[in-house]
Amino acid sequence: MKKKVLSVLLAGIMAFAMAACGSSGSGSSASSDSSGSDSSSSSSGDTIVIGSITPNTGGFATAGLACVNGMDLAVEEINAAGGINGKQVEMKHMDDQMDSTECLNAFNSLVADGVSCIVGSLASSNTSAITDAANEEETVLITPASTADSITTEDDYVFRACYADSFQGAIAAAYAKQQGYTDVGVVYCAADTYSKGLYDSFKTACEKYGINIAAEESVATMDVQDYTNQFTSMVNAGVEFVYAPFYYDSVGPYVIPQARAAGYTGIIMGEDGYDGTQGYVAEGTDLSVYNNVLWTNHFDPSGTEGKVPAFTKAYQDKFGEDPISYAALGYDCIYMLKQAMEKAGSEEASAVRDALADTSEVYDCVTGKFSLDETGTPVKGAVIIEFYADGDKISTKLKDTVDELPDS
Amino acid sequence: MTLKKMNQKGFVVNTIVLACLFFLLALLSNTGAGKGNFFRLVLTPSLWQCGYLIILATSLNMVLGFMGQLSLCHCAFMAIGAYTAALMSLAFQRAGVFKSPKGAVFILIMFLSILCGGLLAAAFGFIVGIPALRLKGDYLAIITLGFGMIIVNVINNLPFCGQNGLAEGSAGSSLYKNGLGFGMKTKVTYLWVAILLTILAVVMMFKYVRSKFGRAIQAIRDDEIAAAASGINTAHYKVLTFAYSAFFAGIAGGLYACANGSISTSSFAFTNGGILNSTFVVVMVVLGGMGSLTGSIVAAVLMFFVNYEIKNGAWVAMLPSGIQGIFKYPMLVYAFVLIVVILFRPKGIFGDYEFSLVHVREDLAKHRALKAQEKAEMKGV
Repeated sequence: MKKKVLSVLLAGIMAFAMAACGSSGSGSSASSDSSGSDSSSSSSGDTIVIGSITPNTGGFATAGLACVNGMDLAVEEINAAGGINGKQVEMKHMDDQMDSTECLNAFNSLVADGVSCIVGSLASSNTSAITDAANEEETVLITPASTADSITTEDDYVFRACYADSFQGAIAAAYAKQQGYTDVGVVYCAADTYSKGLYDSFKTACEKYGINIAAEESVATMDVQDYTNQFTSMVNAGVEFVYAPFYYDSVGPYVIPQARAAGYTGIIMGEDGYDGTQGYVAEGTDLSVYNNVLWTNHFDPSGTEGKVPAFTKAYQDKFGEDPISYAALGYDCIYMLKQAMEKAGSEEASAVRDALADTSEVYDCVTGKFSLDETGTPVKGAVIIEFYADGDKISTKLKDTVDELPDS
Repeated sequence: MTLKKMNQKGFVVNTIVLACLFFLLALLSNTGAGKGNFFRLVLTPSLWQCGYLIILATSLNMVLGFMGQLSLCHCAFMAIGAYTAALMSLAFQRAGVFKSPKGAVFILIMFLSILCGGLLAAAFGFIVGIPALRLKGDYLAIITLGFGMIIVNVINNLPFCGQNGLAEGSAGSSLYKNGLGFGMKTKVTYLWVAILLTILAVVMMFKYVRSKFGRAIQAIRDDEIAAAASGINTAHYKVLTFAYSAFFAGIAGGLYACANGSISTSSFAFTNGGILNSTFVVVMVVLGGMGSLTGSIVAAVLMFFVNYEIKNGAWVAMLPSGIQGIFKYPMLVYAFVLIVVILFRPKGIFGDYEFSLVHVREDLAKHRALKAQEKAEMKGV
């Protein structure tokens, strides 16, 4: 019996220690949580409660936590500057574990607590689980990063701060056209929503621009570790421009080094999932292989225009790392809500919704200066970022800015 | 009282209690209490989720607890049920058979879709079961694990299972459209469906394990060679039970399709962060007690409650920040709960005891007598 009690105690201590280690990494966000923990009730009185739903644990936690950081930073700035409509703002962060049921549960408990404006969630598959509920419960929902085209429709309570899938793939195609490539290749994953969606929009745009897809290869899953055969066939097809929509954790260690090892020297074009590749480079890799890699992104963290430098600096000071695009998008969502609430002069969901639905309103945000179209999707451009070997690390630089797609 | 009379009495009492419970909840959902925020936003979705988790856990218990075969692909059967029910109802909706989730026609289609989901899952259970159940132990676990992944990957690559469903969409995407996919108010209206199906499914499984089929599979669990020597066709019973169990996993999937507006295969995959993945269902069965259907019910509700409260409970915010840190990583809490249960009750919460309203008093008295006897023996030594 003693042994059993002792082992339970040990297990408890271990769990506690792991949690303590984990939370010290994101200690700054924990402290900002606790600041508002005593008034847990709804947005009565002199505070406005904004809910958030992001994947803070599980496979997509890096993005979720960055988004939470971005939102906390925005709220801190707003509160320091006097709040919204004279009221202080308080965040209520929920975790959806990258699962649609958990996402719906989180949404329900936020609404049950009287929250009328919610930011979330990141993955399109999770956000689509709560869009109908948001309309039915008349709750404003702004998603930072759900790019699936079907998320927002006309005349509803759902808006977003990012561009849609059909735009991002098309930018890559437009860039290929602009640079004069007539034959391109694609390496993608047919079994993944994100990769497949981008492939579809890239292909459609290529047809529109008269670009020939000379070779296309697919891999089984997004965490495949061998891309040699795919890029060998790109070399055999003789293409000099390959679109490869994958995530940073496979791009860094596998896709790019193996493509170069297979003899492919042309341009590798990616999407916003390349953000974070710098942290996933294998020890001892010749960094020159990362030259000639381009990717489309929501903003350029080292940019010098608009609100970008101020945001990057504030983020670095508070969290000690460079902001990734999810952080910027979370930050923008809060400022979009602020602007809508101030325009409406109230925090009522229906008034905020009407303010956001106004297509003439211009939002000056970190990820660009834009207005929302009839469906609630921003009309904004994208930036094309390039990697380059910078001594013993990889740096990024702005290659091009695309404000709108060319017609042909 | 003879055994038969006892059984009859138990049957009557349990039926009456279940029926009362059912009508009480159905009444509650359609009267004033059902309009409240708490009932609509918290209680009803929780009951839906408990419903499909209970069916899933009890269906696995038939295979794992009563037949002694470890299956790690039950969530894949659930995925088949969910996709079938969602796509079938969507096809009816697109054909214009019903417009909004109302009326007798809709109710008929809903039950038909859920039933077809179950039947298709059973068919796959049969196909998987024939080769898989020739193996035992670890090998069976590995092959079912493989089948689970295969099924999920196949769904991922079927063009009519993605985006807007049927012909409108490409493979690999989540299914955003769903003929069922109830909203909050519809979930309250049709709460009776979830409760009715859960009760029906559990009763059907009870009837199965108490029948000659149930005795046969328990014999297989205890000693397969002895069972075969006594004239039990082991392969036949194993495949039959596996398909029967897959049927209910498919029904659970149908309820899942009702409760969720969009369906994505990642919710049924091993990498799912929530409590809905095949290993977690095994945990529920072990926690509740292998060979106790009532134990699985209790464990499913308990696991759901722990998971829900960790993430949504108001009391978590009141804890000191150090302890709150643990609740940021829910997986640590599940592991801790499991360690505690396995250390103090290795047989699970219920062991192989079945809770029954008729017997509960006698069972308690028996349990107390047993404990007293053990104590006396300890003293004697």
